[in-house]
Amino acid sequence: MSPDYTGLFQALRPETSLLFGALVALGLDLSLFRRHTSGERLNLALWIGALAVLAAGAHVWFGPHGPIFGGVLILDPLAVATRLGVLALTLLTLGVATAARTPRNPAEYVAIILFATTGFMLMAAAQQLLLAFLALELASLSLYVLAGFDKTRPESAEAALKYFLFGGMAAAFLLFGFSLIYGLTGSIELLEIARQLTLQGLSPLLVVALVMVLVAFGFKAAAAPFHLWAPDVYEGAPTPSAAFIASASKLAGFTLFARLLWPGLRAAAGNVSTLHGAPGWLPAVAVISAVSLLLGNFAALAQTNVRRLLAYSAIAHAGALLLGVIAAGRSGPAPFFFYAATYGLATVGAFGVLAVVERTGSCQKITDLAGLHRRSPLLAGCLAIFMLSLAGIPPLAGFFGKFTVFAAALQLGGLAGPAGWLAFLAIALSALALYYYLIVLKQALVAPPTANASRIVVPTLARFTLMAAAGLIVLFGVAPSLLLDLF
Amino acid sequence: MITASLNEYLVISGVLFALGFFGVLLRRNTLVVFMCLELMLVASTLALVAFSRFNGTMDGNVFVFFILTVAAAEVAVGLAIIVALFRLRQTIQLDELNSLKN
Repeated sequence: MSPDYTGLFQALRPETSLLFGALVALGLDLSLFRRHTSGERLNLALWIGALAVLAAGAHVWFGPHGPIFGGVLILDPLAVATRLGVLALTLLTLGVATAARTPRNPAEYVAIILFATTGFMLMAAAQQLLLAFLALELASLSLYVLAGFDKTRPESAEAALKYFLFGGMAAAFLLFGFSLIYGLTGSIELLEIARQLTLQGLSPLLVVALVMVLVAFGFKAAAAPFHLWAPDVYEGAPTPSAAFIASASKLAGFTLFARLLWPGLRAAAGNVSTLHGAPGWLPAVAVISAVSLLLGNFAALAQTNVRRLLAYSAIAHAGALLLGVIAAGRSGPAPFFFYAATYGLATVGAFGVLAVVERTGSCQKITDLAGLHRRSPLLAGCLAIFMLSLAGIPPLAGFFGKFTVFAAALQLGGLAGPAGWLAFLAIALSALALYYYLIVLKQALVAPPTANASRIVVPTLARFTLMAAAGLIVLFGVAPSLLLDLF
Repeated sequence: MITASLNEYLVISGVLFALGFFGVLLRRNTLVVFMCLELMLVASTLALVAFSRFNGTMDGNVFVFFILTVAAAEVAVGLAIIVALFRLRQTIQLDELNSLKN
């Protein structure tokens, strides 16, 4: 097989345009725009970033499909959909960044967002352990920097350190798992690994490898019991960074996870449709999913800080997404992709609202949102859409996401097996989740504003971003086939 | 000449990994924790090279080159975060980093 470099180059044009955009943003900022105010420099960098993201989107849409470079990359419907989703979420994050406090090095901030996006794009398409690891590390290292970007606040640095230590440990676990898988199968190509594992069956070394990989992804996806970093990072990181960490990285991470587990390690999957099914990674994922659902929802009830509340709700959503990954073996990746993409939209939007409110003062406690309907009806309305979508109220996209995932899980064996019970648990806990989302909305929509609260002026680009996110949530809720037709 | 078998390499790499893991869990100085993280990466590297040798394929060796690069990048980012934190808090002890409520 002779390597097909032309095909590789064409498949990687989206990544190339992202990197090119990042370098142009850095270069212009260092040369021509050095003496301008930081606001102008941020605007320039954001526009360049947005153009690069749009160019990448066009390349993904019109680019090649199928296996690339002998199967190192696979551009199947899941990869294309995830790439488009990640790019859309990046664009919204850039929009959120226009409203947030201007960072000290605006061009670097945008460039690092683009580097992280490059990592996500490769994660979406990687079909080989080395590329998967490199893409994950490119994304993670960029995200650590983004979390610690506000060098004036100790909370930001502390969030970055915690994220870094947990993430670094996850990377080491993942790598050890990968090295064992390589040792067992003699290959780092997912398809070849799958072929070898069908012949071998479940050996003790493979069990160790599976545990390592699951622990690593538990950390990355902020699933309980590996979630400890998430509340601190969401609280301490600058708002656009938190939005990015909560949305795009989730989507790309779950795509990579599903691809690694289902085509790659399918032979060791086991069975969760009956109680006494075969052992494998499915039962382990089911346990992580159940623990995440329980811990995320119950801990979110006790929160007074709106960002920590979003973090615990993210843990609960990670549990539901893992249920979608379990069901992906039978129903395909569409349900969990839809869930992850619409969850990302709602989360970016919610953090976007927080970023705008933050312009007039701190916005950490839930009570800081008091009287938002008077201070800015637009923000309050958008926040209501995002929160209700996260809670899964029809006709918003979050409802349909929950519906497809739970329906797919129930198809695995009805209420007779753990998968069905898990879906039932998730449905019951959704009702609980509505309570804490409504606590936030009560402050924003019902409570009177505090005495010294002023009206909030929403900058034009931020207004456009929030309305785009809210509009997409309504659109995908009313017409989910727009997203599902990508598969 | 006595050559080590694959299992011996794996045991060493497992021990190194466990040392690193417990170091991360138990040590309280951020720099030492950081070194333990690197130890975990090196343990995986050793396993990869051993597997590469005994599988007779080059994939593991190539993987190691990339891991070394990633580890270097991780050191750069990690140390930068630690320096930024030290400038703001004048401490790198994990116990004293509790401004975010737990």
